[in-house]
Amino acid sequence: MNASLDSLAPGATIGRSQRVLGWILLLLTPGYAWVVVGAPTDAVQGTMQKILYVHPPLAYGAYLGFVVTAIGGALFLWRGEERHDQLAIAGAEVGTVFCSLMLITGPIWARGAWGPGNWWVWDARLTLTLLLWFVYLAYLLLRSFTEGEERTARFASIYGILGVVLIPLNYWIIDLVGGNAQHPENIQSGSLGEGMGLPFLVGNLTLFFAFAYLLVLRWRVGVLRAEGERLDYENETTR
Amino acid sequence: MNASVAWALLLKDLRTEWRSRDRLVAMIVFSFLVIVVFQFAWPPMDSKEMLRFAPGVLWVTYVFAAIIGLGRTFAMELENDAMTALALAPGTRGWIFLGKATATWILITTVQAMTAFVFTLFFRVDLWQGIAGSALIVALANVSICSVGTLLSAMSVRSRFRDVLLPVLLIPTLIPVLMAAVRGSTATFAGEAPPFDALQLLIVIGGVYSILCFLLFDYVLDE
Repeated sequence: MNASLDSLAPGATIGRSQRVLGWILLLLTPGYAWVVVGAPTDAVQGTMQKILYVHPPLAYGAYLGFVVTAIGGALFLWRGEERHDQLAIAGAEVGTVFCSLMLITGPIWARGAWGPGNWWVWDARLTLTLLLWFVYLAYLLLRSFTEGEERTARFASIYGILGVVLIPLNYWIIDLVGGNAQHPENIQSGSLGEGMGLPFLVGNLTLFFAFAYLLVLRWRVGVLRAEGERLDYENETTR
Repeated sequence: MNASVAWALLLKDLRTEWRSRDRLVAMIVFSFLVIVVFQFAWPPMDSKEMLRFAPGVLWVTYVFAAIIGLGRTFAMELENDAMTALALAPGTRGWIFLGKATATWILITTVQAMTAFVFTLFFRVDLWQGIAGSALIVALANVSICSVGTLLSAMSVRSRFRDVLLPVLLIPTLIPVLMAAVRGSTATFAGEAPPFDALQLLIVIGGVYSILCFLLFDYVLDE
């Protein structure tokens, strides 16, 4: 009995942090909407330029999700604890959602900014993101096609680690082949127009907390579900 | 466990392949077919234009053929439950990986050489100039293809829909290799020396993938 209480403890900690993150997110969201609506309209691109406050923050979430997957996978291979595998799943699923949203908002902005027909350009970052998206779709497919829970967790961990190694490699190769850079190298201080800095910052913060909240929520669901299954199994075998 | 395990597995795989020639024949026939399909898919071209398309066409064919070969790497170990015997071998399993990957490397390289030869005959493209550079690029790129391919093949063989899963898992991880290889081959087919940046990339990717797969293979086999 003691053992099962102990293993529930991480679930409880996750639950507490999930509530804290939820409150922060709830407080940030109205402020986010307020500053984005109030932000100055771009002289060239008009209202559409406000995708800026959504699109790059989504990208950070996507990358973060994939890093979380690799860390969770490595921890699982090292320690063999189920909760680390659940963290890896959470990272992959939330990361895939953020990545998909980024791949949807990007072309909308692109078509508006670069002219009709320009839904897609084989630019360095676009190509890289698309590849990562495919890697994580493959990760999720691998999870659903492998038989046996422990084996699924092991295989997925391995693939998650391979996937994250691809990020620096892709950056290097795409840089070398010389994809035409449609994306700015980095957002330097001052490259944003006047009055756009604050909404951009608030957007990054809000979407970061949205990411963290969803990640922890998904993690908690996974941990509790695994715990429930384990208790069911124990009940059946001791009966 | 040490290198002798890798050596034993390499010899075993090559001997099995030599006696049956199953994979070899399947991969060669498949490669020729892909090239023939490309012939019907593209507009008529003179040999100079053809030379521009050759690296892309050849590398796509190489990767597809490699997937066919890699799919069988561990499928043949499923018979008589040989996978379990492999997993029960004492010591680091990375050596099993090394033996398997090396055998696949030899097989894939042989098929690629024959494919390139047939390509030269059928399409009047002269690939002989810069053959040493081309061979170097093929040899290096195959290190990456075989290392990741062997690891993923050992995983996909244990899943449902393994024939679909292997390419879906493998192709995204091979894109950097493919880009570097095409870039290198474009230069060598034109008779130039292989560009240093492409070689550098192939060496780094090959090294990273080999070490990573050697270490991760420990977690792939079970029972």
